[in-house]
Amino acid sequence: MSRIVLDSVTKQFPDGTTAVQSLDLEVGDGELLVLVGPSGCGKTTALRMVAGLEEVTSGSIYIDDRPVNDVEPRHRDIAMVFQSYALYPHLSVYDNMAFSLKYRKVAKSEIRQRVAEAARILELEPYLARKPRQLSGGQRQRVAMGRAIVRQPRAFLMDEPLSNLDAKLRVQMRAEIAQLQRSLGTTTIYVTHDQTEAMTLGTRVAVISGGVLKQAAAPQELYRRPANLFVAGFIGSPPMNLVDAAIERGDGGLTVVFGPHRLGVPAAVIAEHPALERHIGGQIVLGVRPENLHDAALVHDSDPAAIIELPVRLREELGSEVHIHGAIGTAAHVSGSESDDVHSLATMVARMDPRTAIREGQTARVQVDTTALHFFDRATGESIRR
Amino acid sequence: MSTWVLFTLMVIVAIVMLYPFWYLVDNAFRSPGQFDRQSGHALSGWKELFANLPVGSQLINSTLVCVAAIAIILVVSTTAGFAFAKLRYRGSGTVFLLVVSALMVPLQSIIIPEYVNLAKIGLTNSYAGAVLVYAALGTPFATFLMATYYRGISDELIEAAVIDGLGYERTFLQIALPLSLPAIATVTVLQFIQIWDDLLVGLLFLPASQRTITAGLATLSAGRTTSIPALMAGSLISALPAIGVYLIFQRHLVKGLTLGMGK
Repeated sequence: MSRIVLDSVTKQFPDGTTAVQSLDLEVGDGELLVLVGPSGCGKTTALRMVAGLEEVTSGSIYIDDRPVNDVEPRHRDIAMVFQSYALYPHLSVYDNMAFSLKYRKVAKSEIRQRVAEAARILELEPYLARKPRQLSGGQRQRVAMGRAIVRQPRAFLMDEPLSNLDAKLRVQMRAEIAQLQRSLGTTTIYVTHDQTEAMTLGTRVAVISGGVLKQAAAPQELYRRPANLFVAGFIGSPPMNLVDAAIERGDGGLTVVFGPHRLGVPAAVIAEHPALERHIGGQIVLGVRPENLHDAALVHDSDPAAIIELPVRLREELGSEVHIHGAIGTAAHVSGSESDDVHSLATMVARMDPRTAIREGQTARVQVDTTALHFFDRATGESIRR
Repeated sequence: MSTWVLFTLMVIVAIVMLYPFWYLVDNAFRSPGQFDRQSGHALSGWKELFANLPVGSQLINSTLVCVAAIAIILVVSTTAGFAFAKLRYRGSGTVFLLVVSALMVPLQSIIIPEYVNLAKIGLTNSYAGAVLVYAALGTPFATFLMATYYRGISDELIEAAVIDGLGYERTFLQIALPLSLPAIATVTVLQFIQIWDDLLVGLLFLPASQRTITAGLATLSAGRTTSIPALMAGSLISALPAIGVYLIFQRHLVKGLTLGMGK
């Protein structure tokens, strides 16, 4: 059982690139923290620093309150699961799992017992004598997990362990990893670029971009209250609609204006975002989740102040839901430095009830759930709240 | 159609390759007179060979020199190759370039300075001198080959072993070395053939009593008259070990030589 703390950890490579910048993170005992971000954002580097495979340029890493900056990887008592599984090709499944125990001078009987236990949990018993090349991708993945489990380490570090599996197997293994981690209660740091994986697995999720921590919070909190534009655009699929807008004082309250559209902001929302007052007359970025855009025809008591009309460009059938792409009639928000990863759309995507009759070419009357609007400072990209 | 063309071509190539060997075997069993007439067989060539040349001890000399030199080459090239491929340290690229550039230096161009160097430390006329020269000549290529091979082993595998508790020394011994057996086989075969067949170093650095079989055979033809059948018989004997080593390692050899040609 253990706690991992990263205290303003920075990694700068010899070529001058800063992969991780002053990262502060705390992983609680038994917690599964997911580091998520686009490729090249520094999440794997952060994990490798915890493992001891990369040196820390500045800052400190603590495992159970013990600074480990200068501790060799083998003395950190952590187990790592790699993207490529990194199974020893010349050793059998049994020997792969027993490997590190042999070098840690664990008694033979104990090794046998621990490997047997791990094999039972992971349903690997029939394959113990095989070589890794004789196994399927999912089985290899399980052996990699087994190799970590038998160690009974202080922490598991997982570097995109599911990205080499096909979609179906990935979902299955994702559930297995979640169950396994919960039943073992081992502190885990899990790196992925897949936000679905991050949301479903993590006790907490840390979103990283450009080597900087953007937000660390529980999955629901991250989704409901993204701290900035990056998190807003990164978490959620389809992503949040982001559009440049203006805040005006309208009849009795605030109105948010973008292109030809006007939306009344309910008093409750203003109360929750008092800082909005400071942006009256100014420019902000408005965020609307696709599921907060409804077909007005299907809403019982629709509010005329919250209806916008969008020419429909595309209707996508997904079975359980329909995605309607509507032109917003104004430029979508494009954020400066991190625009690559924030989906900037000249359209808004609405996730609607499959009964909707809206067709391509029509103009859709869309009811916006104004209680679930997000507001961001256009200059800083931070969420406007207090 | 194209298979037939290919087949015919291969047969022609095979004949071209095998004919000299057949000629060697055939003429090893003739007397000089029979050789001139190209008919009849006898064992007189063999008798002459064994009468004039200490074949047994020269084969042992060859083996000693080969094994010792290859042992040094393997120890240096596997460790250096692993370091070049998997350890990050300042200047490793430059050092690697230096090692590889040594590949381009022909033996003949440095043989005199080499001799002077060894003479200064008193290692001429000894096994040790010849072994060191062979090892020095073979190591650059072997290191290059091993480094290439180790680069093909994923970094994650090495890191997994390091995290599993091995440290780099044992990771090398327990993981990298067993995985590089094909490359080791390749280096062994190529160096064996090269060293076994070498004449210049054998003649220059070894005294008559420690001559290798290849150098010995050369002295056989140095007299005023050369008995071709005896020479053929000696060549046959000296070719057999190389063929044997090749056959033992040939499966790995192909794997080692085609390395880096896609996954």
